[in-house]
Amino acid sequence: MKHKLIASVPAIVLGALIAVAPQTFAHACQGHGTPGACHYSQQAATGIGAAILVLGVIALFVDPRVRIGLNVAVIVDTVLLLAVPTVLIGICKGTMMHCRMVMLPTLVVLGVLALAFAVIGIRVDSRAASASAGGAR
Amino acid sequence: MTSIVITARTLPLENLRRRPMRTAALLVVVAVLAVAFFGGSMLGINLGNGMRSMERRLGADLMVVPQNTESKAEALLTDGSPSTFYFTKEIAHRIERADGIAQASEQTYIASLAAACCAEKLQIIGYDPATDFVIEPWIASQFDGALEDGQMIAGANVNVSADGTIELYGRAWPVVAQLAVTGTSLDNSVFINQDTVPDMVEASASASRRVMPAEYADKAVSTVMIKVKDGYEPQTVADSIKSIDPSLGRLGYVYPGGVTAAAKTALGTLVGYVVVFVAALWAMGVIVLLAVFAASANERKREFASLRIMGATRGMLYGVIARESAIVGLAGGVIGVAAASLVLFPFSALIGSRLELPYLQAGPLVVIGVAAASLVLSTFAGTFASLVAMRGLARPEAYLTLRQGE
Repeated sequence: MKHKLIASVPAIVLGALIAVAPQTFAHACQGHGTPGACHYSQQAATGIGAAILVLGVIALFVDPRVRIGLNVAVIVDTVLLLAVPTVLIGICKGTMMHCRMVMLPTLVVLGVLALAFAVIGIRVDSRAASASAGGAR
Repeated sequence: MTSIVITARTLPLENLRRRPMRTAALLVVVAVLAVAFFGGSMLGINLGNGMRSMERRLGADLMVVPQNTESKAEALLTDGSPSTFYFTKEIAHRIERADGIAQASEQTYIASLAAACCAEKLQIIGYDPATDFVIEPWIASQFDGALEDGQMIAGANVNVSADGTIELYGRAWPVVAQLAVTGTSLDNSVFINQDTVPDMVEASASASRRVMPAEYADKAVSTVMIKVKDGYEPQTVADSIKSIDPSLGRLGYVYPGGVTAAAKTALGTLVGYVVVFVAALWAMGVIVLLAVFAASANERKREFASLRIMGATRGMLYGVIARESAIVGLAGGVIGVAAASLVLFPFSALIGSRLELPYLQAGPLVVIGVAAASLVLSTFAGTFASLVAMRGLARPEAYLTLRQGE
């Protein structure tokens, strides 16, 4: 049970934050005449956050080996999340723009945390999986 | 069933692994101490850098500005928002006739449009390269040519497009140089020569709202920057200006030295609070570490007595304890420094703007130095607390310790 929570709850919490933050306090710059890059990064981040959240919820109901796979998917999603505002889509260039001052750092912090917890989850589940495999032998 | 061979070298790590809750609690305490030390130190260093950067760029002893605009002018020197204010060149020329003035130079400030997105509100600063003694000295390190009409020099935060221009009032203005970060509002400014100011005013009129009436475009002056002669005080020169004409007494007089002193006081207060907070947290943290190690020393008497019976010397026991706590200290320190870095560096622009004080991020060498100091201190705190708490553990006779509680 403990391992299950360690390997799934962080993805649920951080996925929810990644989905909600760009639509609330860490929003893109407002008042675009036409939507700018930061707007599309914001929307993409929300989608990726929702996917991480769903992976975390599924992880609550599966065995450790499947959870390892789900956490690998969380890592891939998180790398995508970090790439969206920095490489793939981008944000406004101005250093003092809200998207650069608040949205980008928030996504980076949440992304790094999601990445770190996914690695911890994989490690915890790998041990549990190998221990149960050793016990079965 | 798998068997694990435990040697004297692997014993500390196994001890930590077998008591996950105790290890996690110790890691949290040490990580909090490292966050406080690293975060507090970096904040103080960055604010100090910003203050020194601001001081280097305040070349004038006195600024004469229009009536009731002193606070706007002071904000321009520290970390304020862009603004437009002006009087006429005729007033500026009368000011410059006062006694005690070594150098005087006129500047014109225009706030660009408060664009909703992607084109920031900039402070446009028009200066006279022929008389300037404030901006040129530090611009010279990055741009040694003559600033032609229509050209711009951009502050560090200004978004210059790939073709080397800035879009302002619907026109693309060529940028000849971009300055290094200063940590002050000058980073969000663009510099033009005074002859370009009328062009800028006309551009504003054709693009949106005229920033000043057309008749003022070629004679607007926002401030007269004054360097006083040796032996004169800025206040004396201000009195001398006021004595020329009573109407000049109604103008605003800003003393950049006083602004720096006020900013220094605010900085000193903030850094003082941070130091007290970090010191209090460290005192509490070390007490908590002592308490945790003391409690675990009590419960581990039998473990250590058993080790003594198996032939471990006192030195070996102290070595095990020291290595256990050093591992906790180092790991907690790394977690703490990483956690603080995760907030400090990505959010540095936000921190600077919220503090409303000059904030200049330190270079990588300083950051590495402070991080290393944080790790050393965390490791030392953990090792010190554990050795103090467990100093009596290896001392008594092993057999008697083992019999205790029977």
